[in-house]
Amino acid sequence: MMLAVCSVWLLLVCLVLYSRLKVAAAAPTCTNGQAGCHVLSLANLFDRVIQHSARMHGISNDLHSEFELYFLPSKNQIGRVSRNCHTSTILTPNGKENAQRMAREELTEVILKLLVAWRDPLWHFHQSLAHNHEFSNFSSNKSLEMSDMVHELRKGVQKVIEKMKMLGIMGNSLGGLGTSESLLAPDSAEWRLMKDYDLLYCFRRDSSKIQNYLKILKCRIVPEHGC
Amino acid sequence: MMKNDGGVILFWLLLLFTLYARGKSYSVPGKPTLTRCRSPEKETFTCWWEPSSDGGLPTTYKLYYRKEDSDVEYECQDYRTGGKNSCFFNKNYTSIWVNYNITIVAINALGQTFSDPVDIDVYYIVEPNPPENLNVTIQNDKGWPFLRASWDPPKKADTRSGWITLIYELRIKLEEEDEWEIRDVGQQKVFNIYGLQSEGTYVVQIRCRPDHGFWSEWSADVQVKVPNYLRRNRSTWIMIIVFSAVVFLILSWLLHINSRNLKHCLLPPVPGPKIKGFDKKLHKSGKSLDAFKSLDVPDFPHHTFSKSEDLLVEFIEVYVPEEQELMLEKSNDLHDGCLKSESSVSDCDSGRGSCDSHTLLLDKSGQQTDTQDSQIDEQRLGEDLQDEKLSYAHQDMVSPDMSAGRVKTWPSVFSPLPQNRSTSADQASSLEMAKQHCLSDSLLPSEFLTSYHSLSGHGTRDHLGSNYWEFNFGNKRPNLTQPQTEARHQAHSEINIFTTGVKAEPTALKFPTPRSSDYVEVQRVNEEDSIVLRPVGSNYDKHFEIQQGEEYSRVKGVDSDNVLLLLQKEAMEEEMDMCPCEQLSGTTEAHYTKFSTSPEKPTAYTHPTPQPLEERVVNGYVDTATMFTMPPY
Repeated sequence: MMLAVCSVWLLLVCLVLYSRLKVAAAAPTCTNGQAGCHVLSLANLFDRVIQHSARMHGISNDLHSEFELYFLPSKNQIGRVSRNCHTSTILTPNGKENAQRMAREELTEVILKLLVAWRDPLWHFHQSLAHNHEFSNFSSNKSLEMSDMVHELRKGVQKVIEKMKMLGIMGNSLGGLGTSESLLAPDSAEWRLMKDYDLLYCFRRDSSKIQNYLKILKCRIVPEHGC
Repeated sequence: MMKNDGGVILFWLLLLFTLYARGKSYSVPGKPTLTRCRSPEKETFTCWWEPSSDGGLPTTYKLYYRKEDSDVEYECQDYRTGGKNSCFFNKNYTSIWVNYNITIVAINALGQTFSDPVDIDVYYIVEPNPPENLNVTIQNDKGWPFLRASWDPPKKADTRSGWITLIYELRIKLEEEDEWEIRDVGQQKVFNIYGLQSEGTYVVQIRCRPDHGFWSEWSADVQVKVPNYLRRNRSTWIMIIVFSAVVFLILSWLLHINSRNLKHCLLPPVPGPKIKGFDKKLHKSGKSLDAFKSLDVPDFPHHTFSKSEDLLVEFIEVYVPEEQELMLEKSNDLHDGCLKSESSVSDCDSGRGSCDSHTLLLDKSGQQTDTQDSQIDEQRLGEDLQDEKLSYAHQDMVSPDMSAGRVKTWPSVFSPLPQNRSTSADQASSLEMAKQHCLSDSLLPSEFLTSYHSLSGHGTRDHLGSNYWEFNFGNKRPNLTQPQTEARHQAHSEINIFTTGVKAEPTALKFPTPRSSDYVEVQRVNEEDSIVLRPVGSNYDKHFEIQQGEEYSRVKGVDSDNVLLLLQKEAMEEEMDMCPCEQLSGTTEAHYTKFSTSPEKPTAYTHPTPQPLEERVVNGYVDTATMFTMPPY
């Protein structure tokens, strides 16, 4: 009796897993409105990336506050503390008008640039945290999460761009991944000079920029709800 | 030049003079502090500072700032918009995600003092204005009202372009209350509130904040009055009350019905002494003899017979065929067990009449099947009956003294029905006979008396005496085997001898003069012309039954304590406890009948005097010889 129950249970579990696998496997192949495929709307895609960026900003905020407790820059420091973020070369709009004046393609490109620029530094930051036993596991895990999120967010934004291009909202003036990658190369050395705390400070700011720009884009392109 | 120098010196001298003339001291101003900077919409911001001492002189304050990426120092352009000691940065001078380094300078005639520099980023100092146009209306949801609150974001905050994202928070309370109930709303601008108090006045407020900034102030109060919707509720209340009243009534009725059971369950009754006429006080006082003597009711049997059916006595025939003695022996343990279990079945102290146990026997036999158990049950029941009878037995010997017109006879002790009796018919017939015994109890006395009195003389008496026993012998079971019959006849003859013996030497045997109340009554005449006897004693302690047919007792004599000694056929070897109350003694070669119960048995009919036969084992027989030889106590 027990054996029968167990076998039935196992069978059910297997069926469920199989069905889920099927669904997961089917997802990547679902493109361009195939029949029976659940296509996400642009607004939905935007919501997802915005949520993602919000979470990323939250984590960076937490890490920054944590570091501030331990590594508060000394007030006795002679001269002004100048934090030079390696992304300062990227021209980002610093006001509402500036941001609204920017074309959506430009804005999207800025977002992409920022995301690309932070991929390597965050990865190395995580590595340094993981190997440094001064930092807690909590910090190390957060840094890893942050690093992954940048990666995921970049992919998400690229999907949004593709969708927009498909819908004809965005022209093809936007360079693909290639141009973004090429922009990164000259700056590759600068971020290694940054200290951990400065890095976190810079990233916190950049993640808030990314989130804001995405929201502006969304309300400009798909303003139906939430704007 | 000289003039200039002189002018300057003069100026300073005058200043010093005036200062001196006033009698005050002046100094440089104290250090101001930047208290807060706020941006209402992430497009402009204002900073406020707190001046310290002004040093007695008119002091001016200036705000200088530097932006993150340049060393150029700027001064605040607008000192008025924000109020006193404030600096307002308009759109042109505000940059988001840029670090401002702000310093306040207090300047008076004597000097200037710089405040500590403060770094701010406008992105993180956003504190919006409270939401506007809060509107609360009453909506109806199938007769149940609820509040719908709606509002607009503050005008300055640009949520439409996505520049700022605001989340809202609402709070509500009744007008007379003090505590607010806070509800998180999220980014929506509409909110429903349920669960309202009828005819209550509610106060609602709303506030907002950006996802990375400070909470705004609470908006202005909005009051709303909830209409009365309890009219429907009243009927609901009435229904509830009625329903609960009905339930309560039903419960109380149920309780009342079952009060006895409940009482029995919760407070189990303590069994008290059930001896009629038993005086607890006397007993407690230690005079047990007196207490027991008080149980002697002079007019006993008639009096009590007429009163209750409980006192009906019945006969049970004892039948132990010779070939079944072995089986019976084997079942001795069973018997013991039976008797022990019997104690649960028969209540020796209960004073129940034999008819009660008789019905018990009937019921039990009705359930029985052709199994050993049934036979054992029957035996048990028979023992039960015997118990009842024995409980009524009297210590005093009942002598078949006909002179008084009564014959005392001991009840023939019940012996277990033969175990080889497997047919239910037999059992049924035995039960039937027992039933007949019981039923005919009331009929017999008169019959007996008439028949009895018709006899005269010794011879008659003898005849009658022999008739008695004949009756018993005449009653035979259908499957009686030859040896049984022989046994019967033997017993018959023995009894016969006895009766003659009795006639011959009543005194030798020390028969007591029978009391006027001691007699045996004929219950009935069965089909084989046997009379079924029933003893009736005024004391009723001499109650005994004579079993039908199979087994009977041979009276050997009467001992000094007025105990009728019955002789059992020696072939019988069974031992059986007739009653759990009785004590089982060691067996002798003969079997013994216990004629009476121990004095402490709480029956109305127990003889008060202690019994000499206590230790006798009962299976329907009494060996009078041993009774004489063995000391009673």
